[in-house]
Amino acid sequence: MTTPSPRASALHRRTVLGTATAATVGAAALTGSPGHATSTAPSYFRHGVASGDPLPDAVLIWTRLTTSSRRADVRWEVAHDARFRDVVRRGTFTTTASRDHTVKVDVTGLSPATWYHYRFVHAGVASRVGRTRTAPGPDATPDNLRFGVVSCANLQAGWFSAYRGLAARDDLHAVVHLGDYLYEYGPSQYGYGFDDEDIRSHEPAHEMVSLADYRRRHAQYKRDADLQDLHAKYPWIVTWDDHEVTNDQYAGGAENYNTDLGEGAYRKRRARAHRAYDEWMPVRMDGTARLRDGDRLYRRLRFGRLAEISMLDLRSHRDAQASAPGPDVSDPDRTITGRQQLDWLKDSLHPGRAQWKVIGNPVMIAPVDFAGLPDALLDPINDVTGLLPRDGVPYNVDQWDGYTDDRREVFQHIRDHQVTDALFITGDIHSGWACELPYDASTYPVGASAGVEFVCSSVTSNNLKDITGTPPRTTSLAVEALITANNRHIKYLDFDSHGFSVLDLTPARAQMDWYVIGDRADRDTDITWAVSWATRTGTGRVEPAEEPV
Amino acid sequence: MKRRTFLQAGAAGLVFSTIAGTPAHAARSRKRAYVLVIDGCRPDELDSGLTPNLAALRDGGLRFAQALSMPVMETIPNHVMMMTGLRPDRTGVSANSVYDRRRGAVRDLDRPSDIRCETVIGRLNRRGHTTGTVLSKSYLYGVFGGRATHRWEPSPTLPITEHAPDVFTIEAALAMHEELDPNLMFVNLGDIDRFGHADLTGTTLQLARRLALADTDVQVQRFIDALKASGAWENAVVIVLADHSMDWSTPDKVISLAGPLEGDPLLAGKVQIADNGGADLLYWTGPRSQRERAVDRMRAIAREQDGVLAAYARTADWLRLGPEAGDVVVFCRAGWRFSDPDPLTSNPIPGNHGHPATRAIPFFVAGGHPVVPTAEVSSRVARTLDVAPTLARFFDVGRPSGGYDGRALLG
Repeated sequence: MTTPSPRASALHRRTVLGTATAATVGAAALTGSPGHATSTAPSYFRHGVASGDPLPDAVLIWTRLTTSSRRADVRWEVAHDARFRDVVRRGTFTTTASRDHTVKVDVTGLSPATWYHYRFVHAGVASRVGRTRTAPGPDATPDNLRFGVVSCANLQAGWFSAYRGLAARDDLHAVVHLGDYLYEYGPSQYGYGFDDEDIRSHEPAHEMVSLADYRRRHAQYKRDADLQDLHAKYPWIVTWDDHEVTNDQYAGGAENYNTDLGEGAYRKRRARAHRAYDEWMPVRMDGTARLRDGDRLYRRLRFGRLAEISMLDLRSHRDAQASAPGPDVSDPDRTITGRQQLDWLKDSLHPGRAQWKVIGNPVMIAPVDFAGLPDALLDPINDVTGLLPRDGVPYNVDQWDGYTDDRREVFQHIRDHQVTDALFITGDIHSGWACELPYDASTYPVGASAGVEFVCSSVTSNNLKDITGTPPRTTSLAVEALITANNRHIKYLDFDSHGFSVLDLTPARAQMDWYVIGDRADRDTDITWAVSWATRTGTGRVEPAEEPV
Repeated sequence: MKRRTFLQAGAAGLVFSTIAGTPAHAARSRKRAYVLVIDGCRPDELDSGLTPNLAALRDGGLRFAQALSMPVMETIPNHVMMMTGLRPDRTGVSANSVYDRRRGAVRDLDRPSDIRCETVIGRLNRRGHTTGTVLSKSYLYGVFGGRATHRWEPSPTLPITEHAPDVFTIEAALAMHEELDPNLMFVNLGDIDRFGHADLTGTTLQLARRLALADTDVQVQRFIDALKASGAWENAVVIVLADHSMDWSTPDKVISLAGPLEGDPLLAGKVQIADNGGADLLYWTGPRSQRERAVDRMRAIAREQDGVLAAYARTADWLRLGPEAGDVVVFCRAGWRFSDPDPLTSNPIPGNHGHPATRAIPFFVAGGHPVVPTAEVSSRVARTLDVAPTLARFFDVGRPSGGYDGRALLG
């Protein structure tokens, strides 16, 4: 998302540009220990274990070896049981310094809709045991599917209690992360609350720019105990937004990118970020677990007849954001998806595919129109959301509102093919929303809806109360009321809370539960259910649900 | 040839034609099946609040969250698919309106001989079950002909729409149930479709359509109440679905291909068009040697027109249409319609179907027979052509040579 301009000097935050190579192992080994897992973590596997991208017969497993050797073998095992008495797959993976000693294995030959346990072993020392689950078979009709949904986890802004809350559950099938898994900023540049206090400080202590920087930042996040627990408990399905590279990135650049500060060519910086992401995340890029064979991230994951998740990449192929409100936002030559991905998305949205066509959507697609907000509130709202142009023209140029021709094409496709149960799940803007997707927002609710959108809040990243410096549920209440009044398709909006969501899919309905955390600075803060919204199959409308699943 | 007799049905004064020698009442099985086609209904309309009875019936039985009409999304082919379980390349019925090459004219596929395969109605009859058709539209009455044991000729029918209002159709269904009680009844309720076609407020308020929805809902409930009162419900499977849904267009969103095709040197004077509202079927009438090139030209010209969604060679695998559908199938976008050959007079009605924007349909199974699940929603895709295999399995009457293209949804 668009983040406020860091208060620290840009010069200061970019003075140290590390390089990859020999420093890498040491960097990881020297990474601070923000999480409480350090003292008990096996020495070779300090970054935990993870799994991701479940298929009916395969799942990707991941770990990272902490070693001073340039090359090392790691054994892996997948079993039906946590004690590994019934091992179904095993093998050996050779990792090297050139891949930052990460291990990614695409384990195949598995059974659908089945829980497995996995672990890694090096020099006789085993990693913690991870648990994962394969997807149902293509024609299976599961009674339900349940996903944790998260986005926007800024380590400097607080503890990852949202991850802790999800890890405490035993009823999920996977976790969907919608982007901003980590942040690029250095210490004091983007932290907690109005003063950007660092609850924990980023490593390296400057903006990540080099490959070594990106690797070290990934390593730091992967040392967080709550994050490790959640990775170990469920397979993850991830996409990136902008901060995995840098703020407000697009295909050819970014807001937080400056050649004058020694960052080098943008495409090279992005390639370094993508390489580190591929190394450190449990994801198939370009359809494989191999590294450096492509960085296509958009992909589909099918869960029987009930659902298919299409994860979008809305950063790598987009044109630059429009610089100001105007006709650029609807220019058909500008794109947020790129032509190839847009055609692919339309294929995802086709009758006869799985019932719930879930779109993992890094930035909001619902139109957000606005009028009548006092000027005094415009700046703080835009600081966190970028939603509200001064002239009243409704859009946020960083989300689909800034690329309306692509949105029009998607919605037209849905209408042309009478697609039902299109469900966009979204992150990015650090707030909770439940929206319908009108073909014509100006006349809505007269007219139909193309589907619905549920937006999860941030894990820790600042939102409206932090930007305004006002207590939660004060200033924001008025803003939320104004926005919902001007946008009849927006049924729920919470600008203040942080936490996670749980998405439950059944053939009858899809329901999103929003859970909120207390103080992000309190590692043991309470986690409470806030609200639930649902959409009944075939309706394209949302309605409040009385209780969480 | 079977002779037919006419039976005066009870106090309603309705007339049914019945195959001679057929016992008036079903004898062999207590099983009953009722297929109620809510013609032209969109799936979301059952959640509009206008159809509380249909919504309750749906929610109490087995509902298919994804249900589809099949190409061409028109009334006659989809009713034929319901009763045959086969795609149009096997039934011979691909659309409502086709160009009949032998007659050299565009006509409706409304003759009994247009169906070139056996229906599940026939299979039931051969096994000693009795069947009945109560079809509100004249062309449906025509195409199913004398296949059912008992059939009602729609009456009175409205001018122009050539359909009987639902109140009369349900009266006929009630009378047939009470007097003849066939094992299978196939009922088409045409009001929602017909009011939808004519609704000038279709793109906005849908005033006429909404009235029809509310009334049809009441009529269906009358029939359900009668089944419960007579005890038939306990042994019944009640399949409720639409044949297609509906889309509306304004007069500025009309496509006419006749002019552009006529303007092409290769195609001029050698193309016939069968207008099916949301789909145009194009027929090459020139030399066979030029057909391949002509198909390419027709597709290219069609795709250039505003409002055209896609233009397929009729032989495209997914369409599975027979040769009676011509050479090229053109679909319009949502919010558009075809008017061919005349852009002003051939199709002035705002409500249309036949194009992919009208594929999604409501589809659910109710009834008291133990084979019917209670309050269940399925994520499996149901299609109009799944009706016949479902009935065939329920009555255990086997399958046609080559099997069904559809699949049984129960059991």
